[in-house]
Amino acid sequence: MQSAVRETITKIRKFILENFMFTDDEAALRNEDSFLEKGIIDSTGMLELMAFISDEFHTTIDDDEIIPDNLDSVNHVASFILTKKTGNI
Amino acid sequence: MGIHQYLIESAERYPDRQAIVEVHKSRTYRELCADAKKIAAWLFSESIAPGDRVGILMDDPAEYVASYFGILMAGAVVVALNTQTTSRTLKEVINDAEISILVTQFKFVRYLTYIADGIPSLRAISVHGFSSPPPSLLGIKLTDSAYVYDESYLQNKEMLAFLGGSDMDIAQIVYTSGTSGKPKGVVLQHGNLMANTCSTIRYLQLTPDERHMVVLPFFYSFGNSVMLTHIAAGATMIVHQSVMYPKVVLDIMQRENVTAISGVPSTFAMLFSTPLVKRYSFPCMRYFAQAGGPLSPKYAMEMKNTFPEVDIYIMYGQTEASPRLSYLHPDDFYRKPGSIGRAIPGVTLKLLDTKGRPVQAGDVGEIVACGQNIMQGYWKDPGRTAMVLRKEGLWTGDLAKMDEEGHLYIVGRKSEMIKSGAHRIAPKEIEEIMLEHPAVKAAAVFGVADEILGEIIVACIITKTGGDCDEKALFLHCKQNLPGFKVPKHICFVENFPTTGNGKIDKNSLKNSSAELLKG
Repeated sequence: MQSAVRETITKIRKFILENFMFTDDEAALRNEDSFLEKGIIDSTGMLELMAFISDEFHTTIDDDEIIPDNLDSVNHVASFILTKKTGNI
Repeated sequence: MGIHQYLIESAERYPDRQAIVEVHKSRTYRELCADAKKIAAWLFSESIAPGDRVGILMDDPAEYVASYFGILMAGAVVVALNTQTTSRTLKEVINDAEISILVTQFKFVRYLTYIADGIPSLRAISVHGFSSPPPSLLGIKLTDSAYVYDESYLQNKEMLAFLGGSDMDIAQIVYTSGTSGKPKGVVLQHGNLMANTCSTIRYLQLTPDERHMVVLPFFYSFGNSVMLTHIAAGATMIVHQSVMYPKVVLDIMQRENVTAISGVPSTFAMLFSTPLVKRYSFPCMRYFAQAGGPLSPKYAMEMKNTFPEVDIYIMYGQTEASPRLSYLHPDDFYRKPGSIGRAIPGVTLKLLDTKGRPVQAGDVGEIVACGQNIMQGYWKDPGRTAMVLRKEGLWTGDLAKMDEEGHLYIVGRKSEMIKSGAHRIAPKEIEEIMLEHPAVKAAAVFGVADEILGEIIVACIITKTGGDCDEKALFLHCKQNLPGFKVPKHICFVENFPTTGNGKIDKNSLKNSSAELLKG
């Protein structure tokens, strides 16, 4: 389970760093940073993030799941994906 | 009278009415006006003089509005700064406007640390939300806003007797993208903003009972107009300035019984394209107001079908017009699809050819506007002012046709300006930044149609080696030097640019081929 968490977080970080922050600098993004508050992702970026989650993790996102608690940081996204995969949502 | 009187009068008439409601806090008119007066008093204590420019760099709605009116009460000029910014952009605007005092939040101070030695006009900053000792900013005095809100300032009798400028004084300089790539400051007098505010209140029939959902930032001219009209009407603004999470906004709208919402096309595309919206009911909703570019007919019809009882106002304007110029009456929504309607009260709109002659009915001409809402000119730029403010009025750069009933239909723009979401973006500014990258030989930037944003930014690049270069490095270069909304969504590498008959880059051809490429 620990390795699944690590692998999920690594993939999400890589996607955010490459596509929204355009950097390899791992220090530029903390896992708890709010995408909205820090201006990392905007409204259209959110659509790209959702497409990534769907393609990479084969996870569908319902409209009412598009909320900060599920998507507004690396930790939130990872937790959301893993919970969906284990069928707890 | 100045526009700050709107807040003073609403606080006298409706002291206990909510002026601003946010998720975790709200302000009554009495509280908001008191805060504005304290900010004015602090500015006096900092020896502000009439006409001095004071910047606002804030995304905290209540603090923003209090600061806006406080600055005007002190007789100074508001320069509202886009919070999606870079140190480079801030430096350019602070220097151009010669801002002497800035009100901001702690999280934005980081932008200033890199440029403190290059902004000589800035001498004092009020910082909201100090969470740690501030960085040292060479010779610039930093004050915690908690101290600014000190009641003792209000003892300043000189300030209370003065309370702001009048209709002929400059109230605000609004920075907008210029076609040359350098930002231009639109100079608006109190009288310009008051004329437009009164007209907008009239055609939208605003009353103090309004509860308006505000999702647009106040530093945009559209958001500024929403703020002024609702403060003037003594109405309530429910504020959450992001549609990134549509459910959050829809929940607020339902919970707060909002009566209206204003937005640009992407606002409505984000909120109403989701099936989720059908689960909500907004029994108090009176109207949706849309401006900032054409709304996709698909979304317009979806909105109307989902909420048939809600009026839809299609509006058109420009920052240079404070900003409203025309609206389509909701009764004409089905009858005049694609129209931006007719001039608002107090405004005259004509369609003229390049020589200033009225065009024949049905022919294309440039929209030229007259009215008390039209700007005084561009800040310190008589050359650019003379190009658009001519004896016929304000030449908007927008090309349109008029039908037999006087309804206008935009058919194009004279400039290459890109409209993406709520932003107007000059391709030249992005091209100049891309040319600073050592691998880039030539750059052509343009907008390509997008269902959500209206347009997205695409850059075509010729490299010095003739091939591709590190795309990621190019994106990073843009990200470091441009606000996020100006960073191209796509970069294409080409060997050469197609040209027009007179040797200019044929951007239409590039646009078409890129649109095809992106579709594929």
